[in-house]
Amino acid sequence: MDREVSAEIIESCRAGDRDAFRVLYDIYKDRVYTVSLYFFHGDEAAAGDVTQQVFLKLFTAIGQFKGNAAFSTWLYRLAVNACQDTARRRKSLLSAGPLPLERIAVSSSQEDDFARAQMARSVQAAVSALPPKFRIAVLLRYFDDLSYEQMAKVLHCSIGTVASRLSRGHRILAERLKSLIGTNA
Amino acid sequence: MFTRHVSDQLAAHVDGQLDTLEARRVESHLAQCQHCRAEHEQIRFGMMCLEHLPTAEAPAAIWVSIAESIPERWLSRPHPFQLWRPAFAALAAIVAVSAAYWLFSRRPETRWEVIERHGVARIGAGEWIETDSSSSATIKVGQIGSVELAPNTRLRVVTERPGEHRVMLARGAIHANISAPPRLFFVDTASGTAVDLGCEYTLRTDQAGAGLLQVTRGWVSFQWKGLESLVPAGASCRTYAQGGPGVPCFDDAPEPLKMALESFATNSAALDTILVESRVRDTLTLWHLLWRADLPNRGRIYERMAALTAVPEGVSREEVLKLDRGTLTRWKDELAWTW
Repeated sequence: MDREVSAEIIESCRAGDRDAFRVLYDIYKDRVYTVSLYFFHGDEAAAGDVTQQVFLKLFTAIGQFKGNAAFSTWLYRLAVNACQDTARRRKSLLSAGPLPLERIAVSSSQEDDFARAQMARSVQAAVSALPPKFRIAVLLRYFDDLSYEQMAKVLHCSIGTVASRLSRGHRILAERLKSLIGTNA
Repeated sequence: MFTRHVSDQLAAHVDGQLDTLEARRVESHLAQCQHCRAEHEQIRFGMMCLEHLPTAEAPAAIWVSIAESIPERWLSRPHPFQLWRPAFAALAAIVAVSAAYWLFSRRPETRWEVIERHGVARIGAGEWIETDSSSSATIKVGQIGSVELAPNTRLRVVTERPGEHRVMLARGAIHANISAPPRLFFVDTASGTAVDLGCEYTLRTDQAGAGLLQVTRGWVSFQWKGLESLVPAGASCRTYAQGGPGVPCFDDAPEPLKMALESFATNSAALDTILVESRVRDTLTLWHLLWRADLPNRGRIYERMAALTAVPEGVSREEVLKLDRGTLTRWKDELAWTW
């Protein structure tokens, strides 16, 4: 899969080409949406809101993008900012009540395979329970395959901090999933 | 020889993100440390579990909303140069328009004449926009956003080039809504400069610089003579004549904390209240107070922050008290997840 959008597409977007906007959107939409969806515990409305915010900001400001940084770094920085902003606005909502994880769609093959679907739900629950700074790091690494250096730029922290957050995040996941898998088995 | 634990590097090792030398050091440690080997296995297991997470497909409705929200003019023709265009909108009533026209018709260099003909006009560097008590205005800032001027506001365009959009707010109130990479839009006031970090905010000030910054989206950095206040969405920050930006505070902070903050500069007992009333989220306020407190009080603030939330690795009391910029930035980056 092409992980970085071409300079030609960005240039066309800067020139106001609607088709180029659509191409760019199609390349990144699912990644931004998926990260947002898991960040917000499977809340489709929040994920849709964040995705819309990110691309609107992107399209509005793409004329200012100078190409001196990776495009994806800028895009994911917008996504992280949008997640943080939305989380601030929804702070009380997030801390109340059970998480609507069952709303995350699973593929038909997973629906056929009950055990796999159960496992997916367990992992979703474990990811949702991570503290936000670990959660976003794990999601960016897993779904967007960002390097540690890119993640450091996106998250405004050092590469060492990225490594530390991912180590701690994965350890928490493992701890939680060990017991969940044990319960489900 | 036993080396120190490598817990924080284990994910990087599994992900192949360490250089050869570091990878060897980690492997050498793992060979002799059961504790780290167990954590290594945990991390591998955690990563393996993530493979069970399906990628979700963004609903088609999102693109429809985006396409509807993008102004047609951006998509149909390019704008190679950033231009300031005031679109004087929201004049509440015909009376207000008439009054404003009467006022400015005696000053032919103003933009109001253009408004009368087209409703839209360009404005360049050095030009002023002023609203009276019954009018307001909206300025389109190139392609990066808009600024609404409240009644009784006086504002001048200072710079209008692609890499820097700068205005000077002499008095009154503006509401800025900017969607651009950080540090492209600046508002100078008598008490400092508001630097956009991708955000939406309201800034009001009097001619001396006393005012209030309220952020509703993203972040704003308010800077004055080396002093900086970082204000996130949901927070506000006072500005002071001859004093620059004050300490930001979340709008939902406890009232006693907010009141104490108002008198922090003049009342030594105010800090007691601030420390007692602070919640985890109010480390925003405490972090900014570190820069403004004397050494003994800085120590008290540090202790309260450390009690509210775990001090991250790489942040030491000693460096915080010395106001080491790198240490405080690292701490702020961690704390920001709770703000």
